[in-house]
Amino acid sequence: MSVPLSQMWTVATYVLKQRLRRNRRYPLVLMLEPLFRCNLACAGCGKIQYPGHILRKHLSVEQCLAAVEECGAPMVSIPGGEPLMYPEIGPLVAELVARRKYVYLCTNAILLKEKLEEGLFTPSKYLSFSVHMDGLREEHDEAVCREGVYDQAIEGIREALRRGFRVTTNTTLFDGASAIRMQMFFDEMMDLGVEGMMLSPGYSYSKAPDQEHFLRRQKTHELFSKMLSNPKKRWKFNQSPLFLQFLMGKWDFECTPWGNPTYNMFGWQRPCYLLQEGYASTFKELMETTRWEGYGHKSGNEKCKDCMVHCGYEPTAINTTFVSWKGLKATVEATLTGRL
Amino acid sequence: MGSDEHTLEGWDPGPIDGEALAEVVERAFDYRGDVTVVRRDGAELIGYLFNRNADGPAPFVQLFAAAGGDPVSIPYADIHSIRFTGRDTAAGNSYAAWLRSREAAKAAGPARGA
Repeated sequence: MSVPLSQMWTVATYVLKQRLRRNRRYPLVLMLEPLFRCNLACAGCGKIQYPGHILRKHLSVEQCLAAVEECGAPMVSIPGGEPLMYPEIGPLVAELVARRKYVYLCTNAILLKEKLEEGLFTPSKYLSFSVHMDGLREEHDEAVCREGVYDQAIEGIREALRRGFRVTTNTTLFDGASAIRMQMFFDEMMDLGVEGMMLSPGYSYSKAPDQEHFLRRQKTHELFSKMLSNPKKRWKFNQSPLFLQFLMGKWDFECTPWGNPTYNMFGWQRPCYLLQEGYASTFKELMETTRWEGYGHKSGNEKCKDCMVHCGYEPTAINTTFVSWKGLKATVEATLTGRL
Repeated sequence: MGSDEHTLEGWDPGPIDGEALAEVVERAFDYRGDVTVVRRDGAELIGYLFNRNADGPAPFVQLFAAAGGDPVSIPYADIHSIRFTGRDTAAGNSYAAWLRSREAAKAAGPARGA
C-alpha cells in the first residue's frame, strides 16, 4: 500500500479519537463538489446532467471552507464536475493545505498541464492529484466517450510528477473489464511513477446514460479476485487493503454512508455521494436527521443492493482496521507483504 | 436502458394539492431540467428544483431560479401547479446513442473529435 505514513498517522489518530469519544458516526473524507461543470460527458457519470444555469454556478471558496470546518474530516476529496474548471481552485487548495487537510483533487487531467504551468499549485504532502484513469488507452477513451483523453491525462501526470507533486490514479471498473488488461494498466501506471492507484466498481447512477455496464456483486468478486489474487509487489494501491479484499469477496462489509459526506451547491447531500435523496442545510442536520438505517446492502434498499463503491465501503474497511484485531492483523499483513 | 423513454419533459399535471402535489414534487425533484412553479397568487418561478422537505410542519421546495440568485424556498401550501418546462438533461444522450455516433464518426474517417 502506498499511503504516506504521515497521512496514515493522521487518519489513525482521528479514528481513535472518534472512538474514544464514543462517536458512532463520523466522517473520514469530505466529498467537496465546488461545481458540476465538466469538460467531459462520460457515459457512466450521473453528475453533470443539469440545466445550463446550474452548470455555470459554483461554490465560493468561503462556502467550501465553511463546509470543511463544519465537517471536520481529515481528508478532503474534490471531485465535481471537473475541479480544474473551478476558477478558485488554486486558492481553495492553498487554504485546505494550510489547514493540513489531505486533499485529493480528482481530475480527468485534461487541463492539468496547463494549470501547473500557470503555477496554480505548490507541491505538498497534503495535496495529491487523483487522476481519473479507467484503464489503458482503449478502455479509458471509451469510458470517457472521447478519444485522446488518455494521452492528455498521461501528459498531465508526467508534468505533475516532474514538478514534484503527489499523483494517484482513480479507476472505476465496469462490466466487461478485462483482468489481464487491468494488470497491464497497473504496470503502466507504476512505470509512469504514480504514488498509488485507487480502484472501485462503478455505481449505476439512475441519471447516467449507460445503465447496462455496471458490475453486480458476484461479478465484482470474480473480477477483483482475478486481478488481485496474485498482485505484483510493485503495484501500489492508495486505499485500504481491506477494501480491496472486500471487493475480492474476502470480507462481508456493510456500507458506511456517512463516512464520505458530500457537500455541493445544493447543500449536504443525503445519504451519500452516489444517491441524491435530498439535502440538509448543515452537516449536523445531515448526520442527525438522515434515516441511515434505510441504506446499505442489508437494508433491502434496491439502490444499495449491488453497490460496492469505495465512498461507502472504504470507511467501513478503515474502521474495521481499528475495531478488530482481525482487521488490524489483515491490514498489517497486507501492508507489509503486498499480498491481498 | 437509458432514461430517454422516461422523460417528463413538457408534462403539465395541472392544478394540484394534497397527495398529488407531494407526488408531483417528488417527480420534479427527480427531474434533471427546469420546472415552472406556479404559486396560488399566479406568480411563476422558472428554475431547477433541487430539494424538498415534506416531513416538517411546513413542507417546502427549494429552487435555483433560472434567472440566477440565491436559492428560493416555496411552501407546498403556496404551490398551485408545477410544469416540467425545461429540457430534460438526462434524456436523449444514452450510451447506445453515443456508441452509434462513435461508429458513424469512425466510418466517416480518421480525423474526428469527441
